[in-house]
Amino acid sequence: MNLTVDGKSIEIDADPEMPLLWALRDIAGILGPKFGCGIAACGACTVLIDGSPVRSCVLPVGQVEGAVTTIEGISSPAGLHPVQQAWLDEQVSQCGYCQAGQIMTAVALLEEIADPTDEDIDNAMGGNLCRCGTYPKIRAAIHRAASLKLARS
Amino acid sequence: MRFSGTLLTALVISLSAAALPGARAQDSDTPVTPASGEQGLAEWEGIHAVFAHPRCANCHVEDDQPRWSGESYGKTRVHAFNVRRGEDGFGNAGLRCSTCHSEENSAVLHGPPGAHAWHLAPAEMVWFDKSSAEICAQIKDPERNGGRSLEEVANHVRDDALVAWGWNPGPGREPAPGSAEETFAAIERWAAAGAPCPEE
Amino acid sequence: MSRLGTFTRRAFLLGAATVAGGVAVGYWYYRQPYPNPLEDELAEGEVTFNPYVKVSSDDTITLIAPRAEMGQGISTTLAAFVAEELDVSLDRVTVEHGPPSYAYYNAAMLEEGGGFNFWDESFTAETVRGLMGVAGKMLGLQATGGSTATRDGFERMRQAGAAARIMLVDAAAARLGVAANELATENGTIVHRASNRSLTYGEVALDAAQIKPPSSVVLKERADWKLLGKSQPRVDMLDKVTGAPIFGIDVRQPDMLFATVRISPVFGVAPVRSDISAASAMPGVVKIVPIETLYGSGFGVIAENTWAAFKAAEAIDVEWGEPGYPKANDEIMATFTQAARSGDASAMRDDGNVDVAFADAPQERVIEAEYSVPYLAHAPMEPMNCTARLKDGVLDIWAPNQMPVLVRWFCSDLAGVPGGKTNVHTTSMGGAFGRRGELDYALYATLLAKETDGRPVQVTWTREEDTRRGPFRPASAGHFRARIGEDGLPVAVDMRIAAQNMMSSLMGRTFPSLPAGGSDPSITDGARNQPYTIPNYRVSEIQVPLAIPVTFWRSVGNSVNGFFHEGFMDEIAHAGQVDPVEMRRRLMADFPAAIAVVDKVAEMSNWGETLPAGKAKGFAFTLSFGSWCGQVIQIAETPAGIKLEKMWIAVDVGMAIDPAIIEAQMTSGAIFGLSAAMGQQITFSEGVVEQSNFHDYDAMRIFQAPEFEVAIIENFHRMGGVGEVGTPPAAPALANAIFALTGKRIRQLPLSREVSFA
Repeated sequence: MNLTVDGKSIEIDADPEMPLLWALRDIAGILGPKFGCGIAACGACTVLIDGSPVRSCVLPVGQVEGAVTTIEGISSPAGLHPVQQAWLDEQVSQCGYCQAGQIMTAVALLEEIADPTDEDIDNAMGGNLCRCGTYPKIRAAIHRAASLKLARS
Repeated sequence: MRFSGTLLTALVISLSAAALPGARAQDSDTPVTPASGEQGLAEWEGIHAVFAHPRCANCHVEDDQPRWSGESYGKTRVHAFNVRRGEDGFGNAGLRCSTCHSEENSAVLHGPPGAHAWHLAPAEMVWFDKSSAEICAQIKDPERNGGRSLEEVANHVRDDALVAWGWNPGPGREPAPGSAEETFAAIERWAAAGAPCPEE
Repeated sequence: MSRLGTFTRRAFLLGAATVAGGVAVGYWYYRQPYPNPLEDELAEGEVTFNPYVKVSSDDTITLIAPRAEMGQGISTTLAAFVAEELDVSLDRVTVEHGPPSYAYYNAAMLEEGGGFNFWDESFTAETVRGLMGVAGKMLGLQATGGSTATRDGFERMRQAGAAARIMLVDAAAARLGVAANELATENGTIVHRASNRSLTYGEVALDAAQIKPPSSVVLKERADWKLLGKSQPRVDMLDKVTGAPIFGIDVRQPDMLFATVRISPVFGVAPVRSDISAASAMPGVVKIVPIETLYGSGFGVIAENTWAAFKAAEAIDVEWGEPGYPKANDEIMATFTQAARSGDASAMRDDGNVDVAFADAPQERVIEAEYSVPYLAHAPMEPMNCTARLKDGVLDIWAPNQMPVLVRWFCSDLAGVPGGKTNVHTTSMGGAFGRRGELDYALYATLLAKETDGRPVQVTWTREEDTRRGPFRPASAGHFRARIGEDGLPVAVDMRIAAQNMMSSLMGRTFPSLPAGGSDPSITDGARNQPYTIPNYRVSEIQVPLAIPVTFWRSVGNSVNGFFHEGFMDEIAHAGQVDPVEMRRRLMADFPAAIAVVDKVAEMSNWGETLPAGKAKGFAFTLSFGSWCGQVIQIAETPAGIKLEKMWIAVDVGMAIDPAIIEAQMTSGAIFGLSAAMGQQITFSEGVVEQSNFHDYDAMRIFQAPEFEVAIIENFHRMGGVGEVGTPPAAPALANAIFALTGKRIRQLPLSREVSFA
């Protein structure tokens, strides 16, 4: 089947029941989305489909309709995505394993709500687990990303 | 505007109900005899067993948090991850229902169940933690049942993909009792018997 | 242990070597005869060279961090040690994790394992610390754990950087025909101001390789530090915001197969009946092979992709044996509770005469309490995994692991390949928390690599395997008594703590032929060694033999005893009608570092203020890994449950190398402890773990996280650890706050057994 991932069209030869995550990782070699739980309970595998956040570990690849965006597809030749830049500026990551998913969820949040409140952040990010406890910095980075994004636009 | 796409979905759903302004519950049209009343109450018991079942009631909540229950989830608890109703019933920005719930059940044990248009029932259609009498009154009240006649309620139960999920909830989950078709028929019989509600 | 003292500690000499296009500077390591059973394994390579810095002609500077990056920021801090003395900024360098080598051993990790109090600098304590350091060398621990990496690398890595700089300057002096002392260095460039000439490090790198390293170096004074003592941007941050393939599961090798394991959920048993035919016939499955190791037995499923492997593993039809331990959780926990009440105890601290102090105690002055904590899984975000390739007599292992030397040793043995033909590549770790100090993931991958005709195989565990197979943080129970004096302070405290011997458990799955008896200091760690002065003060260890595998878990015994000790101290304060913080000030009067921390956190949190109804604060303190940590948490009653509002942390680390990393680790450690305290438990039914994934073994989420304020203090004269010290006081601070809020004294974790959290 054919998928559009990070702006590129790719051919995937897989059982349509295979979760998108494994099609990306084991077949297409796109390693940005991580495997954490396999039941949509940790958010490490989060990608966007037509801009909406999706846990790729439970979505059968055969059901994918729309363009897939992973952490590898959000920066531009001009530089990092404002959310990535904010993550860098706030020095958010510790082990870093969950952060691709955290960043993708934050990207989706900011597309809907340009300047989210703390409550908006709580309502968006609860599905993304971080075992290193970087939450205070994630919160700060989302606020910073909102400012960066507003300044750029 | 927030949630432009999903807001549209919500509008379509609410409009489809609002487009039937003449629709009213039929209870006033059908005379209730003692015999039919008893039979009607018995039918209601069967319907209530479905509506009050966790597969249905867990997403018919008064507040903005769906519930989890069943084996390995402990006693009934709010859905993890701070999942919320959102403005349109389909979740919040960044954490939509569709972020985890797709068109079909995950085949993996403890994976998210799925069906078309996974979302919370409107808050006024509350079943969770409500008595049989309260659920019965809600179902008959067009102000709180999406403006449906009982015929339309029955059809909705028979035809809606998300309702149908209750009888096909995926691995490790106990389905609602009976079937969509049986529940449809029970609602029809209950309505025909005057749609009596229990005292409590 | 005495024979270990016979070999010299002068095993390291500063050295240099020519490497492709440049110079590498570090230490030569001379192996001495080892009078111990591990000698054969260590015999290869009489002399090993371990570089900490490599400078190439093209001006590439590579710093080697011999400790693994599992999120704690250690690669940044270790690189900063070298860079500080080499006089380069961190953005000029590339940081690599060193290959497994015995010379990268971690002496600091075992130095605190001897059972002496951290403040004890008596001759005996120092001697034992030295011997334990030697034991670290014996085990070839290139280990990352025990919050030791910064302390361990502080001297050696700075010396390597300084030596490299001296050699580069000497080479430049020869090239320019000037005296070395006329030259200065500026961020990778050597400058001769008098003649306005300069050379880059790269330009003289090859010359420097020919220069004899200095026999000793003078390190910079602290006042001259440019990098150390200041927060540095983390060297791994860009990779970690771009989804770079740096983790174990991101390893990709040509022609690689994918696999998973299904290991017995009953510990210590093999399948009694199994049928793999249906699973073997599933699409994408290459081969299903039996696995039998001391860690566990079961099956490895090799497939074309990970998902096919997962599905086939689930489809294996298998019946496991009966457990050799109680099947029900209540029975298991009762074993500990009973042992704490009446089991044979060894006193690990015994001040005054506790028995006499209690003998004549009036009943109304005595309080008694029983505490317990459950087994816990580590649940790092990246599930256990390992990639292995056995081809042409060479074994390659790619693994997120905390113990590369042990991985090499065990896997080479299992593959039948000499250690010298085994390469262990340590990847970045998606969390570890002690779990990746175990070897099972690497053993299983090695066994599967023997079955793939030279093709590499990546073995990824499901989250369910990761959650349920252990080894776990030990469960524990404590029985505590205190006699309260007329002034409200404790006159006597008797603490009996029962748990499994973790070292026996560890040895049982690694070195079963070696004796592993004796005391396990971790059973009482965090209770026996706290800076309190109480006239009669006894802390006893009671060992409970059980066949449930247990291991190190962030802060180890302190994670248990921090809760026990500080929860009971809060009870004592309440019984004596003394404010809990005031009680600490009085009992810790002999330890100024502790007092300073207590005062600081009390001041930050405005301890003692009158709070509005429905809010309360709790306090706890734990000295662990050489750092003194006090925490106050404020909580509020809400309709949805208890909400954690804010936590204040004061910590004395002796010397703060990187304040931002220390602050991040304090927050991280506290959230880790709070997560466990609030809701985590591993329980058993029919001898099998009940929890399986994040739906029933969750951790704190962002909407539950309190605000944090951290103060770093540098009072004590020795450097303490950072990675684990935020964890131990978190649970008792929260439990004590809940008592203050509700009057409910919760003595059994998780707290969610009795209260709900918003």
